[in-house]
Amino acid sequence: MSTATLSPTRSTMPLWRIGLMALVVASLVAMPLLRDQVGWITNSRLFSFTQMFMLIALASNWNLTGGFTGYVDFGHAVFFGIGAYGTGVLMHNGWEFPPALVAGAVFAGIYAVIVGYPTLRLKGPYFSIAMLGTFVAVREIVRVWKGVTGGGVGLTLPPYLNRVAFYYYTLAFALAVVAIMWWIRRSEFGASLIAIREDEIGAEMRGINTTVQKMTAFTVAGVLSGVVGGMWAYQNTFIDPDIVFIESRTIELVMMTMLGGLGTVLGPVIGAATIYWMRDVVWASFLDYHLIVEGALLIIIVLFIPRGIVGIFGDRSSTSLSELWGRSLGKDQAEKT
Amino acid sequence: MTGNGAALLEGRNVTKRFGGLVAVNNVDFVVRQGEMVGLIGPNGSGKTTLFDCLSRVQPIDEGQVLFKGIDITGKKPHQVAHLGMARTFQVIRVYRKLTVLENLLVSRQWRGESLLGQLTRANVDLEERARELIEFVALGHLMDSPAGTLSGGQRRLLEIGMALMPDPDLLLLDEAASGVNPTLVETIKDRIRVLNQEHGKTFLLVEHDMRFISDLCTRVYVLNYGEQLAEGTPAEVMENEAVIEAYFGS
Repeated sequence: MSTATLSPTRSTMPLWRIGLMALVVASLVAMPLLRDQVGWITNSRLFSFTQMFMLIALASNWNLTGGFTGYVDFGHAVFFGIGAYGTGVLMHNGWEFPPALVAGAVFAGIYAVIVGYPTLRLKGPYFSIAMLGTFVAVREIVRVWKGVTGGGVGLTLPPYLNRVAFYYYTLAFALAVVAIMWWIRRSEFGASLIAIREDEIGAEMRGINTTVQKMTAFTVAGVLSGVVGGMWAYQNTFIDPDIVFIESRTIELVMMTMLGGLGTVLGPVIGAATIYWMRDVVWASFLDYHLIVEGALLIIIVLFIPRGIVGIFGDRSSTSLSELWGRSLGKDQAEKT
Repeated sequence: MTGNGAALLEGRNVTKRFGGLVAVNNVDFVVRQGEMVGLIGPNGSGKTTLFDCLSRVQPIDEGQVLFKGIDITGKKPHQVAHLGMARTFQVIRVYRKLTVLENLLVSRQWRGESLLGQLTRANVDLEERARELIEFVALGHLMDSPAGTLSGGQRRLLEIGMALMPDPDLLLLDEAASGVNPTLVETIKDRIRVLNQEHGKTFLLVEHDMRFISDLCTRVYVLNYGEQLAEGTPAEVMENEAVIEAYFGS
């Protein structure tokens, strides 16, 4: 059988890897319970972890469209924003958190269908830029639609201070998202997405309804990121366009996924965790220069480890940004045959 | 096989323009069930464009294409594939990062698959068939090699295997022998013959190599500047003066 690690065919995961993942999950579950025994585990630390879990979920969602399907979305944070505002506006109007969260995710899904249908016809960088454009447009709509969104002043949500519960919510959701991605990756649906990424015309010619598959992946990613946005809004208890719709949020997701390994299940998890904690250190050590350091990191990734950390360890299913764009513009097929 | 008379693929007045350039002009043709038909012509004569029109990669501007009696003129490529047509490409299209086996698995029949079905089945259910086809196209020793590491000829064979995976009735092969060493060309010819004679597959072949065409095909269409120049047996078209002039000049 194939030695491929995360390929569309069935793969046998080494026992050590299963054990390591179980250990990591068990440690994360136990962490809040050990708050009184271990000085390092503070409320602030738990808060940091909830932020990291949300980033892991977001990066995994981005990877579904960008890494698996090959459509590099520079406006993915719009789903986060719609989820945050959907949940926030409804809670501001008296809804409870759970139904407001579901509604926010549904809004993000509807938006994905409406925007995905025309934009997913574009290829490579054209799609990326179009998505950035739609992101900016939605932010401006939120800014001027004062009667509903509060405009630039923003909205305040009911306070929710149970950090431990939120820690578990976000952990459970991040784990669920990673499990969904793993499931998709090994399924026939996942195989069709990889086929689209590798050669969309060939995939269509071989009977794959590429429009439906792309739309499905895009919408699933949108809904899941909408959930993250709703959770974030509730945790933050305040939303306004400038803190919800930040362009750099998408760039961060791209960077995290690239560092971990585009197109793999574990890549976004490793990348998000690494960058989140590294940034903590970088911010603390280079308060005035942290953006320069982050920019330098991005350049290093692109130049020296384009297939990310999992690529270093021989996972050939990871890909790189230049490969994705080259392929979607037809360069790969033309140059290498 | 010489075909049993029933038209499997039929083009009526097929025309394709790119701006002011008429790439395919008013072409009529028919491919019957079980036939092996060749499509030849000098470079730029419109052969690949016609293939693209038939498989719906390119929309046609005028005319009609029928497959199994169904008008496929307005259908999408995946819908045509679901009807039982498969093709290979002049510029080889394989999934370079996937192994040979994975390439075959991804090329399975996708007709009528619900999303739920796609999500609940791992992409290995057709592994036995995929392995058989890989052996059939003589790539068994490369089963687990990434397609990107294969030679041009091996990738041609892989593409044929991928086209066979959904068990199509008609295969359109675009320059299947192009850039392939003579040994592999013989393998490709042999596989095509077996598929036609033992499995009843119908072929439409675009090829520059006239020996390849005359060894396999019973009928040949010749295109020149997008127009149909001649039709007949390989021997007839090779003696046709218009064809000789198109290839070698007057």
